[in-house]
Amino acid sequence: MLITGIKITLILLVATSITSLCLGTIIVIMRISRINILRFLGTLYVEIFRNIPGLFWILFFYFVFPELLPQSWGDKLNGYIHYPVIAGILGLTVDNASYVSDILRSGRLSIPHAQREVAMSSGLSRLQQYLHVLLPQMFRATLPPLGTRMVHNFKNTSLCMAISASELTWATQQIESLTFRGIEATSIATLFYICLASVMVAVIILLEKFLKIDVSSLKQSKA
Amino acid sequence: MIDLLGQFENIRFYLVGPYPNGAIGGLSLNILLTVLAISFSFVFGALLGYSRLSCRLYIKLPCMAYIEIVRATPLIMIIFWMYFFLPYLVGGHATIFSSAVVSLSIYAAAYQAEIVRAGIIAVPRGQLEAALSTGMSRYGAMQHIILPQAFRIMIPSFVSFFVSLFKDTATVFIIGVIELTQAGIIISQRDPDKMYAAYLSMAIGFWCVCFTMSHLARRLEKKVGVFDLESIRPDACRDEFMLLPKQKKTGEGIEQSVVCAPDK
Repeated sequence: MLITGIKITLILLVATSITSLCLGTIIVIMRISRINILRFLGTLYVEIFRNIPGLFWILFFYFVFPELLPQSWGDKLNGYIHYPVIAGILGLTVDNASYVSDILRSGRLSIPHAQREVAMSSGLSRLQQYLHVLLPQMFRATLPPLGTRMVHNFKNTSLCMAISASELTWATQQIESLTFRGIEATSIATLFYICLASVMVAVIILLEKFLKIDVSSLKQSKA
Repeated sequence: MIDLLGQFENIRFYLVGPYPNGAIGGLSLNILLTVLAISFSFVFGALLGYSRLSCRLYIKLPCMAYIEIVRATPLIMIIFWMYFFLPYLVGGHATIFSSAVVSLSIYAAAYQAEIVRAGIIAVPRGQLEAALSTGMSRYGAMQHIILPQAFRIMIPSFVSFFVSLFKDTATVFIIGVIELTQAGIIISQRDPDKMYAAYLSMAIGFWCVCFTMSHLARRLEKKVGVFDLESIRPDACRDEFMLLPKQKKTGEGIEQSVVCAPDK
């Protein structure tokens, strides 16, 4: 049961990290675009999703979302055995993406304007500017806060127990209620969370060392 | 129209829970939990953050261990630990409310400690040097020179931490505290017709408080505005801070803000 729990937790972690990075990137592009409507929508998204707990979104996607869909789709979703996990992924993604977009936006602000000008003057299209010049720098400049965010996201996967997604925390509670060996199970789970979070932090620090941007050189190019 | 009003007839339950006939609950309980947890953990967190900067290893290491362990554990796990263990610790009966407060305080203390540490580090070192050279003792310098400035720097982080802790209080519904989330779930399960209204009320309740507070934080940040990035040294650590190292670092490579505001 614990092994399944760990598996589901890892699935949740990997899936939400990838999806929220993608969604966050889309939203940050919306927020820094020149088109007013897109900018408005991006800001609206961030203001709404940042100010409501992730737990709410998980519950929302589990209980309310199938009702909002057409009847037959909703029934199918409710009948699907892995729907709690999917609802958890959706809820965590929309919650995390708002933070990711906020972090990336601060990264965009830290890139000197000259970079953009150079990209433009070397004849790159707007898409190419984003893909080859701006986005890589944004990710590299914001690696430490992004990493912290991902660790938070990992911890938030435990919230999915509220909708009985069979992840690690839920498994410990099941063990507690079936065998009364709650303390052992909870200790193992806590240890697992601490270990994996530490491993994530270590990986992030290593990545940071490899990908560190030389800030002073950026500053000189600014001047 | 009448029907629409009927959807929201439980508004009182969302705001104060079963208050006149029972314990307080709903949105006000969320706020109460946040305020209690913040105030308890402030004392504890300030001590932890201060001692983490100590140059004595036997003080520094336990504090570091506490902070890192709590920060690496999901809040839900802390809540379960306290839910099961608090009755043993106090020897007998512990209400779910008290275990919620205790677990939130334990959780918040680690984050507050980080805020305090970042605040103390953010005070330019020249201040301490100047204070020491005028003949103040270290504690005097801390008390009269460093801490007042550090607290000023910390205020915006505290307010944004308040917001994130407020959102985290939603988690305690897992042990059955009737706060806003639990109230919404109770109503939506008792009366499935009112499900949309219940979830909408939950969302609006959380959103209003968080939106106001986070805008307050942003405004404070502008007002306080002592966040001169040049003065923040990410590699500063209290032991070199206290021992006044000889080599002077040039102000390069300090672009990245050290302030680890717990951006939850």
